[in-house]
Parts: sequence; C-alpha cells; structure tokens
Amino acid sequence: MGRRRQRVDPAAGARAGALPEAIAALSRSLPSGPSPEIFRRAKFDRPEATSALWQLLFRVLSPLPAGNALASLALEVQARLVKSALCSQGYPRLALAQLPEDGSQGSRELLLALSWLLARGPVPEQMLAQARVPLGDEMTVCQCEALASPGPPAPHMEAEGPVDVRHVQWLMGKLRFRWRQLVSSQQEQCALLSKIHLYTRGCHSDQSLSHLSVTEAEMLRDPEGGQQLLRTLERENQRLEAVLAWRRSELVFWRWMDTVLGTCAPEVPAAASQPTFLPWVPERGGGELDLAVRELQALEEELQEAVERRRVAWEAKAGGCGRGPEWSAARRASREAVEKELGALQQCWERDGGPAQPHGPHRLVRREDGAAGDRDLRAAVVIRTLRSQEACLEAVLRRLQGQCRQELARLVGALPGLIWIPPPGR
Amino acid sequence: MSIVTVQLGQCGNQIGFEVFDALLSDSHSSQGLCSMRENEAYQASCKERFFSEEENGVPIARAVLVDMEPKVINQTLSKAAQSGQWKYGQHACFCQKQGSGNNWAYGYSVHGPRHEESIMNIIRKEVEKCDSFSGFFIIMSMAGGTGSGLGAFVTQNLEDQYSNSLKMNQIIWPYGTGEVIVQNYNSILTLSHLYRSSDALLLHENDAIHKICAKLMNIKQISFSDINQVLAHQLGSVFQPTYSAESSFHYRRNPLGIDRHVRPPLSGLPPLSKMSLNKDLHFNTSIANLVILRGKDVQSADVEGFKDPALYTSWLKPVNAFNVWKTQRAFSKYEKSAVLVSNSQFLVKPLDMIVGKAWNMFASKAYIHQYTKFGIEEEDFLDSFTSLEQVVASYCNL
Repeated sequence: MGRRRQRVDPAAGARAGALPEAIAALSRSLPSGPSPEIFRRAKFDRPEATSALWQLLFRVLSPLPAGNALASLALEVQARLVKSALCSQGYPRLALAQLPEDGSQGSRELLLALSWLLARGPVPEQMLAQARVPLGDEMTVCQCEALASPGPPAPHMEAEGPVDVRHVQWLMGKLRFRWRQLVSSQQEQCALLSKIHLYTRGCHSDQSLSHLSVTEAEMLRDPEGGQQLLRTLERENQRLEAVLAWRRSELVFWRWMDTVLGTCAPEVPAAASQPTFLPWVPERGGGELDLAVRELQALEEELQEAVERRRVAWEAKAGGCGRGPEWSAARRASREAVEKELGALQQCWERDGGPAQPHGPHRLVRREDGAAGDRDLRAAVVIRTLRSQEACLEAVLRRLQGQCRQELARLVGALPGLIWIPPPGR
Repeated sequence: MSIVTVQLGQCGNQIGFEVFDALLSDSHSSQGLCSMRENEAYQASCKERFFSEEENGVPIARAVLVDMEPKVINQTLSKAAQSGQWKYGQHACFCQKQGSGNNWAYGYSVHGPRHEESIMNIIRKEVEKCDSFSGFFIIMSMAGGTGSGLGAFVTQNLEDQYSNSLKMNQIIWPYGTGEVIVQNYNSILTLSHLYRSSDALLLHENDAIHKICAKLMNIKQISFSDINQVLAHQLGSVFQPTYSAESSFHYRRNPLGIDRHVRPPLSGLPPLSKMSLNKDLHFNTSIANLVILRGKDVQSADVEGFKDPALYTSWLKPVNAFNVWKTQRAFSKYEKSAVLVSNSQFLVKPLDMIVGKAWNMFASKAYIHQYTKFGIEEEDFLDSFTSLEQVVASYCNL
C-alpha cells in the first residue's frame, strides 16, 4: 500500500487543511463519492458511515456503468457482491468478510478496502473512462471488453424437473432469429453512418476529421440537445480536474490512511482456511450443487490416482534416464519442437494482424485520400485480421462439432436397437 | 425494414403481381378509419417495405421475377405498368425460353446452376437498393418444375449468400386432384429441401382457397385470377404494417418445423368477440399462433380464447406461443378484419397425404427416370421422405 507515495510532491502534505482537500478531490473524482466527513467518521469506525461506503465500493467494483437496474439493489445484496468481488481479487483482510451486511458496522474496514483498491490501480481514471461521453462514432476492435464484462446477472431461472429438448430447440431458434435481426440492424446502422459521414464532408472544424459524427450532427439539428451535451461535457471536465487534484495531493491521504491502519487491531495473517464466497445460489439448486461438488471431488481423486499410476509406470520404463548429455539434448530438442508448435498456433491467430490491435474504442473517420496517421488503424487491415481470426475460430468450431457428433454416435451405438438419423446438414 | 420478393415460375409471378397490387391499393385506400397521421405512417411504412421510389414518383416493387418462359413474366410486367400506380423494375426479371416441363430435377439441377450467377446478381442489386434490408419473401408453387425446383435451388443459394437474412417462402399447395402427374414428387422434394434452407414456410392450399371462393364469395366460375386475388388479399392483410411490441414489422417466426398455414381472413364480421374460427383449432395443437387485427375496435377485441393452454403444446406456454398484432388502420375495404397465422398440426393431414401418394408412386418407380436423368437419385428421394416423415412425426407428437 505504500508504493504510490513516491510519485507525488512531498511538500504538498505540509499545509493545514490539506487532508480535507485531498479527500474532497478523491470524492469528486469518484462517481457519487461520499463527503470528507464520511471518511473522517469511518476512521473512527462510526456506524453511520457504513452504508455510504458499501455503496461506493459497489459502484467501484461493479463492471457496469451507472444508471441501470443494479444501482437500485438492496444494501445487503450490494454488500454481498462487494465481499465476493474483493475476495476474488485477493483482498487479504479477513475482517471484511465477516462484516454484517446490513450496514450497521464496519466503516473502518470498508475504508481500508477502498484504499486497497485505490492503491492497486488507477480507480478514478478507470471509472472516468467507463463513463466518458463519446463525441465521435466509435467502435471497438479488440474483443477484451466483451469478454471482461459478463453482463448483469441473469434472472433467476426455474429449472424444476426435466427440460423438454424441444423447448431448448425453440429457444435456440429464437436466439438465432434475434441474432439475425441484430445483424441486420447493425448493417442498417452502418449504412446510415456511412451516409452521414459522406454528406457532412467538410463541415467539421477539425481538418483531420473533416466530417461530422452522429452526435455532432445531432447537436446541430437540436440546439437543446446540444446544450445538454455541453453540460455533460462540463461535468466530465470537473471530474477530470478532480482527478488531477487528487493525484497532486494523494500523499496526504496515504499518510492519513497509515494512521487509520494503526488504529486497527493487528490481524492474524490469513490462515489456510479462507472463507469461500459462493455467489448467491438459489436454495432449490442446493441439492444439485452438492452432487456436483461430490462428483468433482471424486473426479479429482480419480485423476490423482491416474497421474500417480502413470508416473510410476514412466519411471519404471525410463529407468535411469533423465540424466546424461544425450538425455538433456533430447529434452531440449523436444522442448523446442513444442515451443515452435505453440508459436505457429499463435501466429495462426495473429497472422496478417500487423501491430497488435490496440484496446479501447476507436473513432470512425471516413477519408477520401486514404492517408492514415501513426496511431490510426485502417479498416481494411482490421477487417483482414478479424477475418483470419474468424476462420481460426470456425475451424475450431467445426473440429469440436465433429467431436460432438462422434461422441453422440458412439453413445447411440451403445444402445442396441436404436437407429440414429442425423439431421440433414445445416 | 425492406423485404425483397422473389417471384418464381408462373404461379409465383402471377401471385406476386396480385400481392403488390393489393398492398398498394390498400395503401392508397381512402377509408382508413384512422387519423391522417396514422394513415401517413402506415403508407410510409408500406412503401418503404415493399417499394422503392423513382424520380417520377411511381413506386417500383422490390421484386425479382424469374421464370423459364417469357409469357407470364411479360404479362405480369405489362399488367403492372398498365395500372399506372406502380411497376416492376426494368432490370428486375430473368427469363429464358425453355420451360422446365414440370420436372423438379430439371429446375433444380439444370436451370439452377446454369443461371445461378445471373439470378443472384439481379437479387443482389435489389438488395443493395434497400437502406435497411430485413429479408426475402419467395413466392413459388410446389407442383410445377420452375417454381418448385428452381425455387428450392434459389432458396438454398440465398441461405448460403445471405445467411444473416431471414427468408420466408410462400408455397402454393396444389389441388389434390391436380393436373400434373408428378406433382407429389415435386412437392416432397421441394418441401424437404426448403425445410433445410428456409426460415419459414407459409402454405396456402389451392383447395382451401377454392372453397373460399365458392362458398364465402359465391363465385360461380372460379378462375386462377380469383384464387390469386384471395390469396393476395390474405397475404396483404398479413404483411401490411402493424404494431406489435415495436412499431415496425419484423419477422417473428417459430424456428421449429416452420410450417405455417394462413387462415382465411374473417373480414367484415360483426363483433370480433365472437371469433368463430375453424373448429379444428380446438383439436389441433399449435406451436404458435399469430392474430393480426385491423380496423375498428381493435383495442377492445377479445383474444382471450387464444390464450388457452389447451391449444398449445405442453412445452410452450401460451404467453410465448401467442402474439397479437393490431392496427387501427383498416385494410382494403373492410371495416374490421382478422387474420390468423398458425403453426399447428393442421398441416399434418395434407402433408401426410402427399407423402403417402408420392411414396406409392415411388414404390413402383413410376417416372423416376425423369428425375434420375437430371441428377436426382433415388437416394435423394429417400432423404426427402425421411425428412418429411420426421416433420410429420414431430408435429404429431406435439
């Protein structure tokens, strides 16, 4: 936790009133940050500061932007989600896991958790990036954002008793149709974007962009909306300035946090028994979960036995091998072969990719002359990369489907008297 | 969200014309029974969906016409142009001078590959004209050679090239006592192939529509034109804009089985609370039902009868299986109208009958050589039978 101290101006902490300023800056830089008073009360573990800190931690840890249904979850649910998120990130203090979830106590522990998060990564900047106002028409090229945020939790599904496979087929079909509707809507959006970019050539004051984006065109059409956009941008600016102020005065905050840590009782280092946090599981599924756990344990034991047997057998066969110059040469050769194969696989994925795809959203700009700056991505290059990735994935899919079909045929073959008619190719 | 229509064969082209005509004349109809703003929204939506604009203001149907003979296409083009209200695109048709001889294999294995590129080119141009393309509507018959064989081939190609778009095939179920001897072969081959590549099949039986013309409309001499117009009316009342969850039409199709049967619209009936539909509904289990209501008093219409779980299969709750789309804007001349699109066991009997007849012919190898001559082997027939038996079995087990 002490790492961040070295980066900021050491003289800043000397001024009186620097601490409330620093905390106020922190608070302004976070979405709906609590007042400095809350922080002060949390140092003394006052109960009234607890719920505000639970909510702040929830906002910081939740992967979704503000303003959706999750924000209105009950405090207990938010608290539980915070606990499991912190645990999965490796938060070391046990005391937090043991806090009651009704917001009645524990504000000091929550304050420590918040500062742990702040020390691990640029939290205010990340939250700002999440909520930024895009002025251009943007599109992300890399897949990591889609993979990172799993989306809101699915509504609780009732799965009592056996599910009719036809229902599943029906759902698959519905999903397929929705997917196609999505694709055609996207195509429509692209066609319209293209038109807007084409028709507004030369309208933009920035020569390198030359045409307007949808947001900008909309701003011209609807002045009231434009005013609103302006206000949003001003708020964003204020948060940016708060972040800068926070970075300048961080040191004061960390010195103060040291004192907070000092007031806590020393904690026994985490023993082997870490409390595990299962996500909220419906009671009805409890029986099946136990069964799954037992099956997994049995499988693990089986695997361990198999590994042992193999190891013994290999050692018996290899005998005194594993030593001597020929042996190490052979080992080196095989390791190199494996590395080459892995490299080839990776290259297959990244072939034609050119420089690795940068992360984050990119603004779409239509250029007649085809000139591209250093950090610009050409659409043709991106398309080529995506196509080769698609081809790789399709090959994997076909291989897996083939394996599934073989497995099915094998299973069916084991049942005498059953005729297996595979569906006509689709 | 625009839809590109592909009209295949004689049947497909004639019906396609009637459908566009019905859609546009409804769109222009003055007795909308709703506010002007509502009417304008309706018209705009209909236009966007099915027509594109040209400079002189005459809407051009978003359609591709394909046939192996020039006669029907020329008739269709000129009828549209004569109406003065709309027309087909200049380069939107593809025809040859050969015909398919009611041979599915010829349509699928000969015409298909030979003309694949040209046809797909025309389709692509039509798709590119759309700002927001939502899918294909393919009109074809099952019994002939071009519509069925070439239609199956084209649908397969569309699945390959436009795998992200939705495709719905409108299939005309031939008369039970039809004139084409091998219509049952053509039918089973068509259905089994479409089952794999299409997303939704909308079925209309000639026999059923014939009955409507005779009994409900009292037409003495029923011609194909009458039948087509009834069909177009039904389709129009399905496709015109409505409000469901969002206010734009989007394909909501059941992914399984995907056979649907459009019921006759109960147009002009007094209180909709007395929905006296086909009694069969109570005996046929449905996977999904869609009711579309247009006109006066739609908000107060009582559709509770459709939410009875007894109507639906056990693994689907009515809330998932039943949908209602409404709009106050009346359709065509009807003050009130209702359409039921149903995915149910209703099709089991006709399908079973066709499969049975085809199997009898196949067992005695009648006419098979006409198919094997062009590359459709007995294996393919057997595959088709298997697929369709599976479909029948799935529906029976609902």
